[in-house]
Amino acid sequence: MTDAAFGFLLLGIAMLVVLGIVFAIASRGGPRGEHPKPPAGVHMPNPSFLPVVFSVAATLIGAGLAFRREEELANPFLMIPGLVLLVLAAIGWVRAANHEWREVEHGAHHDDGASH
Amino acid sequence: MSAQSMPARPAEQPHPKVPHQQGMPTALVGMLLFIASEVMFFGGLFATYFNARAAVPAGTWEPPPGGHLDLPLAAVLTVILVASSFTMQFGVWAIRRGDTGKLKLWTGITLALGVLFLIGQLYDYSMLGFGIADGPFGTTFYTLTGFHGAHVFGGAVGLAIILARAMRGQFSARNHVAVEAVSMYWHFVDVVWIAVFTTIYFLR
Amino acid sequence: MATTTLEPRAGTYRQSWVLDWLTTVDHKKIGILYILNSFLFFFAAGILALLIRAELAVPGLQFTDYDTYNQAFTMHGTIMIFLFIVPVLAGFGNYIVPLQLGAPDMAFPRINALSFWLLPLGGGLIFSGYLFGGAAAEGWTMYTPLSNAPYARNVGTDLWIIGLTLVGTASILGAVNFIATIFKMRAPGMTLFRMPIFVWTILVTATLILLATPVLTAGLIALFIDRNYGGSFFDPSVGGNPILWQHIFWFFGHPEVYIVILPAMGVVSEVLPVFSRKPLFGYKAFVFATIAIGLLSFSVWAHHMFTTGAVFLPFFAFMTTLIAIPTGVKMFNWLGTLWRGKLMLTTPMLFALGFLSMFLIGGISGVMLGQPPFDFHVQDTYFVVAHLHYVFFGGSVFGVFAATYYWFPKMTGRRLNEPLGKIHFWIHFIGFNLAFFPMHQLGLDGMPRRIADYDPNAGWTLLNFVSTIGAFMIAVSIIPFLINVVATFINGERVGDDPWEANTLEWATSSPPPPHNFDRLPPIHSERPLFFLTHGHGHPAERPEDLVEEELVDEKPGDIEERPEDLV
Repeated sequence: MTDAAFGFLLLGIAMLVVLGIVFAIASRGGPRGEHPKPPAGVHMPNPSFLPVVFSVAATLIGAGLAFRREEELANPFLMIPGLVLLVLAAIGWVRAANHEWREVEHGAHHDDGASH
Repeated sequence: MSAQSMPARPAEQPHPKVPHQQGMPTALVGMLLFIASEVMFFGGLFATYFNARAAVPAGTWEPPPGGHLDLPLAAVLTVILVASSFTMQFGVWAIRRGDTGKLKLWTGITLALGVLFLIGQLYDYSMLGFGIADGPFGTTFYTLTGFHGAHVFGGAVGLAIILARAMRGQFSARNHVAVEAVSMYWHFVDVVWIAVFTTIYFLR
Repeated sequence: MATTTLEPRAGTYRQSWVLDWLTTVDHKKIGILYILNSFLFFFAAGILALLIRAELAVPGLQFTDYDTYNQAFTMHGTIMIFLFIVPVLAGFGNYIVPLQLGAPDMAFPRINALSFWLLPLGGGLIFSGYLFGGAAAEGWTMYTPLSNAPYARNVGTDLWIIGLTLVGTASILGAVNFIATIFKMRAPGMTLFRMPIFVWTILVTATLILLATPVLTAGLIALFIDRNYGGSFFDPSVGGNPILWQHIFWFFGHPEVYIVILPAMGVVSEVLPVFSRKPLFGYKAFVFATIAIGLLSFSVWAHHMFTTGAVFLPFFAFMTTLIAIPTGVKMFNWLGTLWRGKLMLTTPMLFALGFLSMFLIGGISGVMLGQPPFDFHVQDTYFVVAHLHYVFFGGSVFGVFAATYYWFPKMTGRRLNEPLGKIHFWIHFIGFNLAFFPMHQLGLDGMPRRIADYDPNAGWTLLNFVSTIGAFMIAVSIIPFLINVVATFINGERVGDDPWEANTLEWATSSPPPPHNFDRLPPIHSERPLFFLTHGHGHPAERPEDLVEEELVDEKPGDIEERPEDLV
């Protein structure tokens, strides 16, 4: 690793530490408690890991393309886990969409079904 | 800081609902916008094709030595894809009437035709005698048709998903947005192919 | 202080805040993530800028070698544009647009989160070049043939291409989200012509992103194929065309600069009316000017290529000059908003006024550059660097800081300290002009851009030295800003729903808002729904529904409010 890279790595870690402190402080503000309930007819989507997983998969696939060696289509050590993760994330996404569809279909109110 | 609550008034808005669906469902709007971006993506690729073609003397834009284009096969692929658009639309009309059985049938046929297109495209690639690294013609040919094929694959994945959901009875006449969205995407893929086919095989 | 508190301030739900923020699909949290992530990249790219300026202060290579310097200006530009300015404006858009529309969230919340997470990861890929033998070093515009395989064999450039593809995809998905939200999720009563101008600018920006970024993606893929799979798009030795890259890049690149400036103009259009205690002058003209700028932006790209010899100069010069017209309309409308207003020089207002003056200078140098006879002399000199920094920095970044100070109370429930804010502004403003104004002259004196070193006899030394001082002043100005942010988080002045006495819907709910944004919405009969709710017809006690019959979409000019005591 070059000096420049080492410097940037240190800088990156320092910034993350600073941000972590900011986050920690910010999370202390305000009363802890339950979510206030939304008014009737408003359907708030649930939190989800899928966006992070999807992004990691895309990054691995991209890195697999960037780090390919001569005569390869892509770097298999990055591409294959990336593709696997992509498929898993896609399956998860479809299942989550199914789940929400079922909630909407059998729920009390009629939504516009745009919970993606 | 005083916590004044809003006095109740006749003009006050009722609880804010997600607005009643008027016009196109939101998911379909999203798909349409996404398709617009894809059109621009293919526009960029077409720009590279036309630029490369304009750079050579008239009449010399052709496959590299040893290579050839298979127009009959490409014509067959075109027929397959156009037919699949029709079958997709039959499926959409079916579910609008509430006919889940026909939806499954037509979606299945569409998917089969799509897969047939992809197999045919790959077979075509194997017989052409030139590759992506063989000059501007090769590069632009494979990039344009290759990315189109990738989009066909994406559409096929979508078809498979709605087929599976249809088989689980999840679509009804009033709730089948996913089918409409996938069909929109599939028609787009077909239109792009017609543009690709016409450009590569006829604008010489 | 008139408030419309609808509920006690909403707290954050804490199980583990790491999991909370990792899995959130709430547009407010995602907006904050965008903003924080963007500022992180801002500091990284800013440090690269300081490295560049330190190197250029005096002739001779003191701190870098040529390759390090090339990486520095490449990454500085790339990170500032793609990983700071576009995402931070998207972050403010994410937080504010649903609130200003009276909606509970964006149209596609999970895709919203996906758009965010691609940013640190894609940006990380771009940056990781430093770990693998050197980052991309061919300029943020990545011109071929230099960026192509025979000359730029570094994996850093491939990482740049891939990372940018991911970031671009994130942008496109975000654009789909914004447009769908704006068209489908407005509260009842909010017609398109009652939306805040900020929402309009986001709408046009999203349309530009939707239509321009995919072209960049196509170009990036083509470059990748050339570099890695033996393609012939841009390599002249195998029949390719290097100028093609410039066409593709700038067809995206020019709308990109409007993507960067329009939301900042939207912020200014929010801030100026509030702190002039007057409605925005010429709302409809603003809307049409914004749309016109969006449309015209697709017709001018080749003004970046005047000197290639491959461009039809009269057309592009004409269209470039034409874009000055809607921009001028906006300028005059902002001045009209200020005219005879009761100006309150709070920090957001200072940054907005700074925007007006700095963007004016940048706009004028832009029109100059749009004239080929002039451009032929200063293309690829520091004149262009001066111009782009006046519009990017003097324009967009000033807009970002205005947005930060303006909306910080809404996002956190606390107002940033005013004296510290003013210190930040003035050091920043002076430093900025000191850094970049001399560059106009340097360009006219013939100093090329993207050089690490220069001849001591060229006569450029003094201005370079002055410029470096200015750059370090800008860096110093960040210190009061950071202190302000941290101190305010710890123990800042708490505020209610509407500390600025503003006009738009985001101020009609608690600070910060509950997860679903609104429990109740005020009636919407104009583009200033909150103004009518809290002030009525000048009589706070008057019931607003009496206004329904004499609905005032066009305000009486000179409607001046009592100045609240709690604003310095």
